[in-house]
Amino acid sequence: MDELSFTSVGIDIGTSTTKLIVSRLRLGRVSGALHLPRYEIIERELHYASPIYSTPLLSQDEIDMDEVARILRHEYDHIGLSLSEVKSGAVIITGETATKTNARRVVHYLAERSGDFVVAAAGADLEGLLAGKGSGAEQRSTEFPGVVANVDIGGGTANVAYFREGKAIGTVTFHVGGRLIRLDEQGLVHSVSQHLQKWLLERRIPLAEGSKTTPDQLKSIASAMCGEMLDYLSKEAVDPSFRHLIAGSPPPGPLPEIDELMISGGISTLMADREVPESMAAIARYGDIGPLLASSLRQQADKWPFRIVTSGQTVQATVIGAGMQSVEISGSTVHIDPAVLPLRNLPVLHLEYTGIRPEDWRQAADEAMLEAAKYALPEAEAPCAIALSGAVIHSYSTLQMVAQALLDTFTGHFPDAKIMVVVCEHDMAKALGQALSIRCGKCLNIVCIDQIRVERGDYIDIGEPLPGFLVPVVIKTLAFS
Amino acid sequence: MIKSMTMLGHTYHFNSLKEILAKANEEKSGDQLAGIGAADARERIAAKFVLADLTLSEIRNDPLLPPEEDEVSRVIEEAIDETVYNGIRNWSIAELREYILSHKAGPDELKRIGSGMTSEMIAAVAKVMSNIDLITAASQIRTVTRCNTEIGQRGVLATRAQPNHPSDSIPGILAATYEALSYGVGDAVIGINPVIDSAESVRAILSATKEMMDRWSIPTQNCVLAHVTTQMRALEQGAPMDLLFQSLAGTEQGNKGFGVNIRLLDEADGLMRLQGASQGPNQWYFETGQGSELSSYAHFGIDQLTLESRCYGLARKYKPFLVNTVVGFIGPEYLYDSKQVIRAGLEDHFMGKMHGLPMGVDVCYTNHMMAEQNDMENLGVLLTSAGVNFLIGVPMADDCMLNYQSLSFHDLAALRETFGLRPAPAFEQWLVKMGIMENGKLTDAAGDPTLFMG
Amino acid sequence: MEDREKLEALQKSTPARIGVGRAGTRPLTHTMLQFRRDHAAAVDAVYGEVDESILQQLGLFTVETCYGNKETYLKRPDLGRIITDEGIAVICERCVQQPQIQIVVSDGLSADAITANILDVYPALLDSLRVNDLNPGTSFYVKGGRVACMDHIGEVLQPDALVLLIGERPGLVTAQSMSAYMCYKPRKGTIESDRNVISNIHPGGTPPLEAAAHIGTMLKRMLERQTSGTNFF
Repeated sequence: MDELSFTSVGIDIGTSTTKLIVSRLRLGRVSGALHLPRYEIIERELHYASPIYSTPLLSQDEIDMDEVARILRHEYDHIGLSLSEVKSGAVIITGETATKTNARRVVHYLAERSGDFVVAAAGADLEGLLAGKGSGAEQRSTEFPGVVANVDIGGGTANVAYFREGKAIGTVTFHVGGRLIRLDEQGLVHSVSQHLQKWLLERRIPLAEGSKTTPDQLKSIASAMCGEMLDYLSKEAVDPSFRHLIAGSPPPGPLPEIDELMISGGISTLMADREVPESMAAIARYGDIGPLLASSLRQQADKWPFRIVTSGQTVQATVIGAGMQSVEISGSTVHIDPAVLPLRNLPVLHLEYTGIRPEDWRQAADEAMLEAAKYALPEAEAPCAIALSGAVIHSYSTLQMVAQALLDTFTGHFPDAKIMVVVCEHDMAKALGQALSIRCGKCLNIVCIDQIRVERGDYIDIGEPLPGFLVPVVIKTLAFS
Repeated sequence: MIKSMTMLGHTYHFNSLKEILAKANEEKSGDQLAGIGAADARERIAAKFVLADLTLSEIRNDPLLPPEEDEVSRVIEEAIDETVYNGIRNWSIAELREYILSHKAGPDELKRIGSGMTSEMIAAVAKVMSNIDLITAASQIRTVTRCNTEIGQRGVLATRAQPNHPSDSIPGILAATYEALSYGVGDAVIGINPVIDSAESVRAILSATKEMMDRWSIPTQNCVLAHVTTQMRALEQGAPMDLLFQSLAGTEQGNKGFGVNIRLLDEADGLMRLQGASQGPNQWYFETGQGSELSSYAHFGIDQLTLESRCYGLARKYKPFLVNTVVGFIGPEYLYDSKQVIRAGLEDHFMGKMHGLPMGVDVCYTNHMMAEQNDMENLGVLLTSAGVNFLIGVPMADDCMLNYQSLSFHDLAALRETFGLRPAPAFEQWLVKMGIMENGKLTDAAGDPTLFMG
Repeated sequence: MEDREKLEALQKSTPARIGVGRAGTRPLTHTMLQFRRDHAAAVDAVYGEVDESILQQLGLFTVETCYGNKETYLKRPDLGRIITDEGIAVICERCVQQPQIQIVVSDGLSADAITANILDVYPALLDSLRVNDLNPGTSFYVKGGRVACMDHIGEVLQPDALVLLIGERPGLVTAQSMSAYMCYKPRKGTIESDRNVISNIHPGGTPPLEAAAHIGTMLKRMLERQTSGTNFF
């Protein structure tokens, strides 16, 4: 095969809106005829984008799962898409919706009902990452040598992802979003997100549910939220109260220096509106402070040291990321047993072997598996995926030692396992897979794939092989540590 | 044609024009491999004597490959300006050589008589010319062509930047292009040999180079040297292509080995006129090289110099913007050492110019030839003195994709400065504006590829 | 970004020799000498020989083609396609006839390529055959070989498929690059496009062990489909 295309969907259930896209991903051979086969996704074409639905809620705390499922069915029927046609994609639950009581159940329920290899995903980091891919920030970072950050600002959160040379290098999420304050055109405050309440309190800004507010008060709140977020991103000093706006724990290391900042998400759509909302009616036209956040971002754009650009994909960045960018494909020389695929939600055990001498492999593998036992699924047929990163092994004798060490430690720690999954960062899966397979005979099924980079704490889904013996893979990154 | 010649007490017999032409060649390992070269030094000279006395009409009337059997022969025949031919048909090859070298001739006259000659006649005269003969004659002839910009003027040495990358990485290709531009290289074309022969890949490289040309307002043209059918598909997909490329051979069979024929080239030509990104009128780029017909068993016992000349006969049908011989790429079984490569470079350049072509040379060699970089520098100097339209440059002469060596960006800058030659005028103005060149010399800012990263 | 960082970013994007600086129009001395050094390694690889102890370690015996000497080898590729009569006699005496898979190793245009890679590639290739349930015949080494020596050997031993590991024309990036040519039933008259090849096998290019592992898959497919060549994959 020289070319092949498959359908992928993205479904985003966000704080305020729910949307779906259908895309066609085209695989093409990117290595010359004289080289080992190598395929890549050479084109990601947006095929269909649904209307934007309001996210159906049963209550403040619960998603209306039946209604979301109905929307999905309606959209599939509408465009004549059958489940078996959908070969990959992701359902992602984002922003404040991810905190609803039934969020987890909803994404899994939908993922199983959207196609053959559609994965469930959640988490602020992943959300930011997908948005950064969907907005074009990842692509943009391959075009010049610098760091491109994407900030996707929607109803509940602002998700920032950093990219350099096409690779994600970090994420951070803020409680900055339009829906954090809901109000009506009379200035009556309907709700204030609990994340915002602490910040308001520390800054001594009186704003409570049921109280009346003024355009000036809201403007100063919006201006402070946006201004401090951008100050933080450009590493300027920020008011101590800002810690309340950082979602989760603050990033461990220093944030990368940004050369270009891209803005996507619902707020970026509103940024196109050049008029500054002055009256309460104009401010509250969507029942929240979205328009004010947008205008305050636009007004302050010149203040920071990086270029600020709005993404071509504004409101849809996350869903496009989920539908078009979530799936990766493995290298084309791999060792797999198609009968055991697909494999879903495998926790990743990571072994970085740079600097490890061949004779020390056994100990290194043993330590990694011991650590993995904490989060692996010992009773499952495939308890985990062993991710190997480091340079390609070129010595035959080293590879044999590595295979033996991995196999011994794996069977030692997971005696009931039926499938051994190995994910190599670089092109060596077929050689390693064969070495493992010669050693274990029929006692284990070996799935050894490569050219996929995963980290400890990630989860990986491996799909059924596409013709040409490469497999689609979805990696669910949970954290950059 | 049966001829004999007694020389130094020995009589040499030649049974055909093919044999005379082959044995009259300077020594080439390719002619020996084909088993058609002269047996020794004396036989070579005997053949040259015989050839010198043949008339142009004798050569035309004894076709090596009849037009009825070979479409390249047909193209060559049909292009002959009969009025011009009739004025010179009774000249011997010796007389033709002397006329070409005489002060009577001059640039316009050389081009005029070229239009009345077949490729075989031009090859024949090259065989009785010495290296300085080839240089003197070629240096008279200027061929100016225009695509987006114009090259070939007297006083101009144009250059192709060849920023190849072993896996067609766009950032890698652009990085090497920045390096080229910072040395003033790239006025003839930014031309990339791709690893992957696919329309998508061609389109991606063309788009990236075009974007860069637009961003920095660079007056030049882009080209990706994939197979012509791949480029046609890329064109149909809207790729911004200034020059269409193809490798040519001197026989119909040889072109079949390259997967092309005249119908296909005509079709591509039509498509390019409709869809090409450049204004023209010259929108083709051809590469050739002695020995390619023998390597595809399509030489019909004809020597490699004559076949090379026939490539030029085919090329001139399409009024190309650029033509170059990739002179030392093919390997030692065709051109064994630097002496053979240097000779072939001068021959090809002269023959191309006599065909009225905008002739350039890829001065190059592979690592299994008896040649090294100093030999290439020598040939670069010789060709520059011969008025070559353009030369090819790769970073530090090392092509990391095709695994052979050509000239470096440094070499091209040195040749220009040593000979007082300039880049193509529009390109020079741009270099001055960018602060890379002043009064025809590189400035302190030159040689820094990061200039293009802002 | 600092200028230095910018330059490094450019240099990282390509193995081409960029950002090398200049003295007037000429390259800097060390840059020029590095280039000359790499060319020297390439030339020496063409004229070098494979270390005999390596062949012994792998248990490969040696036969020669009719190439005679290096100059003739370079000028007359046709002679490198024919095994000497003595060589044929040895092959007939020592090799399994009509093997399923015949493995041949040859110096080709770079003895260094074989010296550098064969100790890793050869055992990995045997593993790959084993995983794919394929049986190799008796492997040997051909001195002065060209790719098409496959046809002559195929004619003599009649294998179902043959794989030739041969040194490639050295480049400046590496002089140690090897190719694996594969062909279903190579015989006299086999043409170029009947063969498949994996090229650029060396630690900086196509990973040697991965290449070896893939050869088994390709040979297996050749036997299943009873064909090989450019239209095959």
